[in-house]
Amino acid sequence: MSVHVTIDGRAVEVADGATLLDAARAAGRWVPTLCFDPRQAPFGACRVCLVGVEGSAVPLPACTTPCREGMEVRTEDPTARRVATAVVELVLSELPEPPAAHTELAGIARALEVGEPRWPGATHAVVHEDDHPYLAFRHELCISCGRCVRACDEVQGTFALTAVGRGFDANVAAGIEEGFRHSACVSCGACADTCPTEAIAEMSLLDLASS
Amino acid sequence: MSENLVELVRRHHGEQAPTALAVLKEAMDARGEITDADRRIAAERSGLPEATVHGVSTFYDDLLAPRGRRHVRVCTGTACFAATGDAHVEQLRAGLGLELGERAADGSCSLAETVCLGFCHSSPAVRDGEVIDAGPGVVERVLAGTTAAAAEPEPVSLLEAPVLTRPGDWSGLAIALERSSEQLLEAVEEANLRGRGGAGFPAGRKWAFARAAAGEQKFIVANGDEGDPGSYIDKLLMERSPALVLEGMALAGYAVGAAHGFALVRSEYPRSKPALEAAAAAARAEGWLGEDIRGSGFAFDVTIVEGAGSYVVGEETALIACIEGLRGTVSARPPFPAQRGLFNLPTVVNNVETLANVPFIAREGAAAYRALSPGATPGSKLVCFNERFARPGVYEVRFGTSVRELCERLGGGLRDGRAIKALQIGGPLGGILPASLLDTPFDFDALAAVGCMVGHGGILAFDDTTDMRAVARHLLHFGASESCGKCFPCRIGLQRAHALFAADDAIDRARLEALLETLELGSLCAHGGGMPAPIRSLLAHFPDELGLA
Amino acid sequence: MSERFDSTVTTTCGYCGVGCRLEAHVAGGRVAAISPALDGPANAGHTCLKGRFAHQFSRHRARLTSPLIRTDGELRPATWEEALERIVNELTRIKDAHGPDAIAGLASSRATNEDCYAMQRLMRAAVGTNNIDNCSRVCHSPTSFALRKSLGLSGATGTFADFDHADATILIGANPTEGHPVVGARIKQATLRGMQLVTIDPRRIELADYGVLHLSPRPGTNAAVMLGLAHVVLRDGLLDHDFIRTRTQGFEVVEALLADYDPDEVERIAGIPAGDLETAAHIYGEAERASVSWGLGVTEHRYGSEVAQLICNLALMTGNLGRPGAALLPLRGQNNVQGSSDMGALPDTYTAYRSVTDEDVAQSFEAAWGVALSRKVGMKIPEMFDAAVAGSLKAMYIFGEDVAQTDPDTAHVQHALESLEFLVVQEIFENETTRFADVVLPASAFLEKRGTFTNAERRIQLVEPAIEPPGDARTDFDIIATVSRALGHDFGWQDPEDAMREIAALTPHFAGVTYARLGRAGLCWPVAPDGTDAPILYEREFELPGGRARFAALPYREPGDHVDEEFPLILVTGRRLQHYNAGTMTRRTGNVELNDRDVLEIHPDDAARLWISDGDVVSVRSRVGRTEVHAHVTERIERGNVFTTFHFPETGTNLLIGQSADVNTSCPEYKVVAVDVRPIGEQAAKTPALGLVGTG
Repeated sequence: MSVHVTIDGRAVEVADGATLLDAARAAGRWVPTLCFDPRQAPFGACRVCLVGVEGSAVPLPACTTPCREGMEVRTEDPTARRVATAVVELVLSELPEPPAAHTELAGIARALEVGEPRWPGATHAVVHEDDHPYLAFRHELCISCGRCVRACDEVQGTFALTAVGRGFDANVAAGIEEGFRHSACVSCGACADTCPTEAIAEMSLLDLASS
Repeated sequence: MSENLVELVRRHHGEQAPTALAVLKEAMDARGEITDADRRIAAERSGLPEATVHGVSTFYDDLLAPRGRRHVRVCTGTACFAATGDAHVEQLRAGLGLELGERAADGSCSLAETVCLGFCHSSPAVRDGEVIDAGPGVVERVLAGTTAAAAEPEPVSLLEAPVLTRPGDWSGLAIALERSSEQLLEAVEEANLRGRGGAGFPAGRKWAFARAAAGEQKFIVANGDEGDPGSYIDKLLMERSPALVLEGMALAGYAVGAAHGFALVRSEYPRSKPALEAAAAAARAEGWLGEDIRGSGFAFDVTIVEGAGSYVVGEETALIACIEGLRGTVSARPPFPAQRGLFNLPTVVNNVETLANVPFIAREGAAAYRALSPGATPGSKLVCFNERFARPGVYEVRFGTSVRELCERLGGGLRDGRAIKALQIGGPLGGILPASLLDTPFDFDALAAVGCMVGHGGILAFDDTTDMRAVARHLLHFGASESCGKCFPCRIGLQRAHALFAADDAIDRARLEALLETLELGSLCAHGGGMPAPIRSLLAHFPDELGLA
Repeated sequence: MSERFDSTVTTTCGYCGVGCRLEAHVAGGRVAAISPALDGPANAGHTCLKGRFAHQFSRHRARLTSPLIRTDGELRPATWEEALERIVNELTRIKDAHGPDAIAGLASSRATNEDCYAMQRLMRAAVGTNNIDNCSRVCHSPTSFALRKSLGLSGATGTFADFDHADATILIGANPTEGHPVVGARIKQATLRGMQLVTIDPRRIELADYGVLHLSPRPGTNAAVMLGLAHVVLRDGLLDHDFIRTRTQGFEVVEALLADYDPDEVERIAGIPAGDLETAAHIYGEAERASVSWGLGVTEHRYGSEVAQLICNLALMTGNLGRPGAALLPLRGQNNVQGSSDMGALPDTYTAYRSVTDEDVAQSFEAAWGVALSRKVGMKIPEMFDAAVAGSLKAMYIFGEDVAQTDPDTAHVQHALESLEFLVVQEIFENETTRFADVVLPASAFLEKRGTFTNAERRIQLVEPAIEPPGDARTDFDIIATVSRALGHDFGWQDPEDAMREIAALTPHFAGVTYARLGRAGLCWPVAPDGTDAPILYEREFELPGGRARFAALPYREPGDHVDEEFPLILVTGRRLQHYNAGTMTRRTGNVELNDRDVLEIHPDDAARLWISDGDVVSVRSRVGRTEVHAHVTERIERGNVFTTFHFPETGTNLLIGQSADVNTSCPEYKVVAVDVRPIGEQAAKTPALGLVGTG
């Protein structure tokens, strides 16, 4: 079974169960995402993938909204884009320093033309864990997108990572805050591979960046 | 929620393992704090990964604040705020010499915040160990060590024959079992029973989805996580009419094809779980729960689960996660619980008040139910008033009655000759109704038209001495501290919104409104999406009091 | 992340047989990082710590960067010209004096198909002998033998995608979450989605926690377990009669044999509860789509090849072949175990397992290579060592295998190497084997070479160089071609792609293989001339006469070693997540920070009885050798068994392994060694094993 939708005026046919994000990508249209990784089930946390849908009063998250026959989707709906941009600005505001230029977050911020965040106030506490030969934790860069936790769960199946805390103080931890080395971590690096901010980074690449 | 973790929970539940949350709660009750050793034990006993258990242990309020030998919890709900402007919190802090969340160095005493204890009729409220005291003089009594249990109100029904304020007698189930489950489902759909938890979604439609879902095993979940500060309706139902709630669950199970129900009750209501469990035991003894109920071949039983302090757990996907003993965070829908809910299986989640309506429908039929509120939303509604009113308490009313009539005739206006400045109806996500709009009918559509909602039916008055910027600050503090942290707009946006009001600076209205839009349109669930509603109301009706630039 | 790197190359992982597709990112002439290719068929955007992180060895300071020649008893740096001259002179001398069969070569299951093909051509065409083998001899040769016997082709019948489709899987003698981590993760995810997993292993492996049933047979009794499963399948009417009737032969004999293996009898032999055996048989037999996957716990036994045939029996009885989710999936150990044998680096076969005694085949190679080829089957690895000790084998050319650390009965192997008149070792690091070499040739790691690997799915995948070999090191392909040319036989190839063209031209199963067609996703052989590949084998018929699979009527027979009063425990060996076999690569990476020693797993009851505490140094003695290792007390291992690894040369694990080997393939019986374990109250010496046994 397949479903027909229109993305920015372009008709696409997608498999039943496909999301608006799948359809947009099939149509070659860019939709910003932060918590999405094609290796993982959609999570719906970052809300940066909002798109306009004909007949819906509010923008809808592309990653978790299933395509229905005849949907007309606008990836650059002004309201959706305005909200997405505001969310990225909020995300930048919680980091004590801007994300490195090569990170996914920095790329999305550039693409959405988010400048210096205008939200002074609390930022995440700087906490580094460097006990592992390959993996470095920079907790202040964590934006709670859940990608590392889900990589460890849905891709690797080790469940060594968890979200911790709640609200603004949410973050991630390996094991019982033991760091990668002493937790159940099997060092597969799937977390670092998917992290959009280098909150979990490959140690050698941090060295490369600083050299 | 992670399908894999839920699958692990399902497997271990099948082997009678306790949930991680249950083990952690035991540890907290036993020792007043959670150590890494407790986390490891919880992982071992629940069969879940240590990291997962650690994540749970950092989510729930009850697991976070260390407890002394004497543990004092001060209610910072909106009714208590409306009563004292948080003066009671200050007095307790000073009197005990402890900050919120602090335990005395010698372990003798600890002080924590709680939202809310459901004694909104008698604010402020303080829980001292297992005793909840409330009303004038409560702080003095707690400090003097003479804490005494506060009285509970008697519910009053304005209906000739009460629907919701009566004890359950299982007569609805008896009749339903004589007919087919399809007939019961049709009656509930025909009655247009709308969910009473806040969103007003038709219960019959939810049931039909779950009934149609593939799979043998399905569940009914009663949402007794009445987190709305200012509301104590479900508390009353669970503690005064627990059998009515259980009967509603059994009926839902019959209609949907579920053999087991879970009721999640708040830990802030220490009497609710025992009341429901006693009612369940009695029902089992009488053959209303268990295998082959009254020879019908229908089997249904219930498990009562206690939460651990989280407002967002009232959202249905978070509620399911809490029952599973996981972090009570919200999951994107679809999949809806009717497709993939508890243990990844089809599940109906209904508010306890919604379920309490079902026995009447089963017994009297859809037409009789619709006739309860002619020309308005079918059925009746429980409302409750806060301590500012002259006659606070719980009342069963018809939909469509004007808010003014409710406040003046039932609530008796405000005490001490004060005037209503504004009302917040239906919980913290409801808009704020200024006194000038009191003639609005109490019903879903009419309230929505003025930026408010029925919500769960709490009617909370702010009197004419109230500082409305402080109201905004109070609500946003609640919003930010209860954000589950999953979606970005709510996680960061509510913190930023609160910071705007908490600072002494003038607030840039345009920036505030842009932030409110981000929350409204961006948030994953009604928490982030709804918190702007009262702020919007304040901007509309009390702009001069907010300190706008 | 591209702007941080000078280049990014998509290649195939050089560690285990899973065949993960990798993106190697290069900066400043070094591999800066490796990430998984999202479109890798076997790994789908995932990889393990070896593939992702353990690449620093490629620029380790101990890399061999120039040839070494033994002069006055010492290995000294030399030029390539000097090294080649020495090789040509010695091999020519020995060949002239003793004939070509006095020389033997080993290809490497770590190297590319093209390297291995070149190596066997070197031995066959330039030297003139079929004395060519590869290290699959010591791991999956029994699997290869059994699959060919029972089904026709030497390879998995499906792909890892079958784990996604199977309703039930039996996993026997494998620990994929450590040995094949990406497949282990895939199996784990499948179990969480509802695949019924039965694990059979003397250790309670991690996946047992996710399965529905774990069976822990005594080491060496797998045959009884497989016969017992078949007994229950037969007894309880779980047969696929249509399949047996139309697609197989020989079932009647098996049927008669199975009567002897009722669950109670199997319980007596293997020590697993009869009820569990019945449950397992029903899980497999009742599933719509059921697969069996296995590792070296099946093969490295005296009757390993027979057990693999009994596994085939079970699949044939239930019709679980030739459909998605119904597959036999041996987990090949090394990255190119499949390919090195496919390429004919075996003493009895040319490419695609065609016999050296097959006149048509031999003539096709003679025509292509322009030389006369021997029709005499060559020596297998253990036979080579025996012949060396006996004096009939005079020279060896060992390429990419540390036989002195990894092969059984280390003392015997060392004796053999010492006995040779001339030994060439082609390696990336000095190791236990180079200690005996006369010439050491500095070769290349997988990140430095071009070619193809064939993974455990029979999937041929491209390997592309991300970096250059260091110093004067050269690619293996280049070295072998150069040596061959120096010996007078010019392959006539410019690069590995030319070798693949030749392979395709001479090998029907590879007829349609071209580098262009391999592209990013590879091809599962057999590949038809039009490029159509075969992810699922035997959809319609088996590759045996009449298209019918063959049942094997094989009884249970006791393993080659057994416990007695002197040696009361059974030692099982295997590997761990952080390290790879001899550890040549992984010990030179950050992985040693995560795991810095071999340990001996022992059950708490055995430990208590022997007064052993966790972390103690213990002495482990077998009938052939002794070593010392730290004990790790754990319930993962069954009572009566102990387990260790062979990643660190100082442990000398293989000193303990005797000469017992698979009856059909000579694959050593690494998995059943009777040992005596006792505490010694002191720290382990640095290299106690070698010190103890000596090299004489």
